[in-house]
Amino acid sequence: MDLKKRSAYYKPFFFGVPSLMWQILFFYIPLLCVVVLSFSGPTLFAYFKPFGEAQYIRIIMRSLLLALFNGVVCTVIAYPLAYFLVFKAERLKNLLLFLIILPFWNSFLLHISAWIFVLDRHGVLNNILMWLGMIHEPLHVLNSVTAVCIMMVYFYLPFVVLPLYATLERLEVRLIESSLDLGATWWQTVRKVLIPLTMPGIRSGFFLVFIPSFGEFAIPEFMGGDKEMYVGSVVSRLVLGTQTAGAGAAYTVVSSLALIVVSGGIYWALSRKAISSEL
Amino acid sequence: MRTHNIFARFSNLLFVLLIYAFLYIPLVVLVLFSFNKAQFPAPWNGYTLFWYQELWQSTHVWLAFYTSCVVATSAVVISLLLGIGLMLYCMHSKRVAHLMNLFYVNLVIPEVVLSVGLLSLFALCSIPLGIPTLIISHTVLGVGYVVPILYVRFKSIDQRLIESSLDLGATTTQTFLRIILPLLRPSLVMGGLLVFILSFDDFVLSYFCAGSTAQTLSLYILSMLRSGISPVVNALSAILLLLSSCLVLIFCSLSIRSRLF
Repeated sequence: MDLKKRSAYYKPFFFGVPSLMWQILFFYIPLLCVVVLSFSGPTLFAYFKPFGEAQYIRIIMRSLLLALFNGVVCTVIAYPLAYFLVFKAERLKNLLLFLIILPFWNSFLLHISAWIFVLDRHGVLNNILMWLGMIHEPLHVLNSVTAVCIMMVYFYLPFVVLPLYATLERLEVRLIESSLDLGATWWQTVRKVLIPLTMPGIRSGFFLVFIPSFGEFAIPEFMGGDKEMYVGSVVSRLVLGTQTAGAGAAYTVVSSLALIVVSGGIYWALSRKAISSEL
Repeated sequence: MRTHNIFARFSNLLFVLLIYAFLYIPLVVLVLFSFNKAQFPAPWNGYTLFWYQELWQSTHVWLAFYTSCVVATSAVVISLLLGIGLMLYCMHSKRVAHLMNLFYVNLVIPEVVLSVGLLSLFALCSIPLGIPTLIISHTVLGVGYVVPILYVRFKSIDQRLIESSLDLGATTTQTFLRIILPLLRPSLVMGGLLVFILSFDDFVLSYFCAGSTAQTLSLYILSMLRSGISPVVNALSAILLLLSSCLVLIFCSLSIRSRLF
């Protein structure tokens, strides 16, 4: 009896083992490997020398700034959109939501090639603007920070719309109405009631954009030319280069630490603004 | 009613239409130019299907498509099996909830960091890069989606169903196979579809873990983009756009309400 009971207890555990092993072996150990590798061979500073240490720090700062910009812009654009979808779209709601999700599931290289078409010197945008007579010389949008920013916002926008939509759908509209009834202006209502109530959605949307866009490397590679480097491109070059894998790992560790610290700070700042709807 | 009038100030139809234009104009342009007779810098020059023909005859594309399909299918199968095994364990142990937290990190971490990690693991163990490493990396990503989806569904199952099945004499394995698995089926289909699309479109993990021998469709598009724009890329993109739209349509019709986030 005892033996049977024990085997009945242990057997299911063996079904759980493969996935736990998989997760540890191919997720946690690799992360550990990055740390181990970062201490192997010549230190990061050996590779800093040719560029100067300041250059690497500046790249981290620039990536953080780009991620922050992207997170803020996406949230600011997505908020009214999600609001529209929840409260005004009515019958078109599902269709419009579907149209937001759709591009998000396509390979993003595909989006990149589409935007190259639009922004190129001979691209659609320049042709249209010249035809309208607004400009006389083609604009050089491609291979600039502007192109990187446009592409980033374009690609990450759906990531924010979905969590915001989910939060706004659960919003107690009566709270907003009572705020207005009690004499608050619409701006006060937005600032003191609407935003704090929907803070969980804003926060998760922001981080769904902020964190991946910090490590983004294909967008800067293709849209930004090689004038401006970002963390993703530096890491990929170092890691895939010969002899520099250790430095690449070290750079990954350093930039991840920077990301964790900044994310923690932003999370704390945003959480302070949140209020619960259960009064 | 008054609420809505007030919010009209910052969310009106024009704004929404502009966003949709922003999202869709590039894709429309991309598809339109796949029918253009002339190569890219030249303007519109008449309608042709030549680039699709070119694409159809290219052996590289077919090979890359095949690789992508193999990798995506394997990633789906492995991550679903792992997920099902974990659910079986969940059924027995109530204290498994905190183990689930192990899996949530996969979605938050930047893909570049994970790729660098996997690459260093493969390098340290001297595993040659190729299709197996691609499958491993995509499965890691897949498990991060499948496990939470399955677990959420599993938690929503009425415990009384399981208890009555056990009371009526079914063994735990029978209960799992006959009661729990059928109840999990919608989530299994959804998770599988999701992992397939993610793996098919994935670029970063493939870029790092593919090595020089294996080439997925994304990597093929990358190499084409690097060598300059050709309308063949547009034709390929248009087809991929159609394929993934169909998959998303199935995905959404399965469950519009239950969301990922």
